[in-house]
Order: sequence, then C-alpha cells, then structure tokens
Amino acid sequence: MAIIVNLDLVLVKRKMKLKELSEKVGVSTVNLSILKQGKVKAIRFSTLNSICLALNCQPGDILEYVE
Amino acid sequence: MTTLKHIFVAFFIIIFSVLTTYYLKPSNPIRLTILFLMLGFFIFNLIIRKHLLYKNYFTSTYNILTAKVHYEVTYDISIDLMFEKVIEVINNSNFKLVESSKSTYEILAITPISLKSWGENLYIDFNVKDEKTIIKFCSATLFQMYSWEKNKENYDELLNNIEKSLVI
Repeated sequence: MAIIVNLDLVLVKRKMKLKELSEKVGVSTVNLSILKQGKVKAIRFSTLNSICLALNCQPGDILEYVE
Repeated sequence: MTTLKHIFVAFFIIIFSVLTTYYLKPSNPIRLTILFLMLGFFIFNLIIRKHLLYKNYFTSTYNILTAKVHYEVTYDISIDLMFEKVIEVINNSNFKLVESSKSTYEILAITPISLKSWGENLYIDFNVKDEKTIIKFCSATLFQMYSWEKNKENYDELLNNIEKSLVI
C-alpha cells in the first residue's frame, strides 16, 4: 500500500508515549501499534479526529501518500 | 473419512445401548459400571479442559469422542502484536480466555454450554513464516462426536471479530 503512517514521527515530535496517546484517544495500545505499522484494515474518521486532537496535528501529518 | 468414523461410532453406541437395555436389568452391575465410567469420563474432560497441557488429548485424531476442526489464517502483522490482538478480541467476545502462554504463543479459550453442545475448547497457535504470522485455530468439543457446526461457528465468529477489530 502507498499510504504511509507517520504516527511514530508525530509522537516523537510531541514527546508523547503510545500509552499516553492510547489513554487520550481511547484506542488500545495494540491497535495503535498496528496502526503505526500501517497494518490496520481501515481507520474511522472519529478515531482520526481524536488522534489529531490529542496530538494537535493535521491528518496529513499522520498519513502520507507516496508513489 | 471423518463422517464414516462418526457414523460407525454412533452406530456402535446405539447398538450397544439397545443391547444393554434389552438384556441387562437397570440394577445390573455391568450397566451401572458403564454409566459411571461415562459420567467419570465426562467429569474428567470437564476438569482437564481448562489447561493447555491437555491440548493434544482433545485435538488428537485418536480421540473419537470429540469433534474437532482445524483452520489456518495468515496476517501481515508481527507475532507479538497479533498475539496481544487475539487476546484482546477474545476478552471482548463471548469466548472466555482460560490460559495463554507468551513463550509458546498459545492461547486456550472456551465457550459456554449451549443447546447445541457442552462447550468447546478453542486452541490458538501462532507461528511466523516469511515475516508473516500464521494463526492456527483448533476448535474441539468437550464430550460429543458431532459439533452441530459449532466448531465452524466458533472459528467464523473469532475471525470476524479479529477482522472487525482491525478497523480502528
């Protein structure tokens, strides 16, 4: 898939741990880890919204399309 | 071949039951012994079902008193994450997590007693091949030769729950 998930980069920039994000967003650390690897089947708008809110970023900061 | 085995065993049990009912009185010691043996066997299965140690006993092809099915599915997710994921899915479903071993990547879950069966044991193994995780499911009945499709239903339900949980 050409969609790359840059969640780990944003987490480093925000100096936030995955567990902390998990608590803020209400998504398990297992699911966030799978998302980080880009292996989830799909991501809901509501989840994306919560992640962007918690990390104070744009969806484009987390998801990137590469050729 | 499995169906033939089931038919043969069912036929044997029916003939045996008819003959003992016809020839032996209810208080006959042979009949009582058989009854107690069957009851003991059922209780024995009930006790040992909650241990991964007896997995081979339930899943063995030589154990003709349990019906079992084997399925395999591959995921492009690391084995550690997949192991955690399946545990999470089991905890959020009708299955009851009984035992899990991170060192051997094995999980044992059970289903409650229903109208169709006395409950099933669900054994889940994880293996790695070509950087992919292979999950092997084995659903085995506790004490019946025919599962009334419950084994297949268990697999479908678990797989469906895993797929659903991958949409976050």
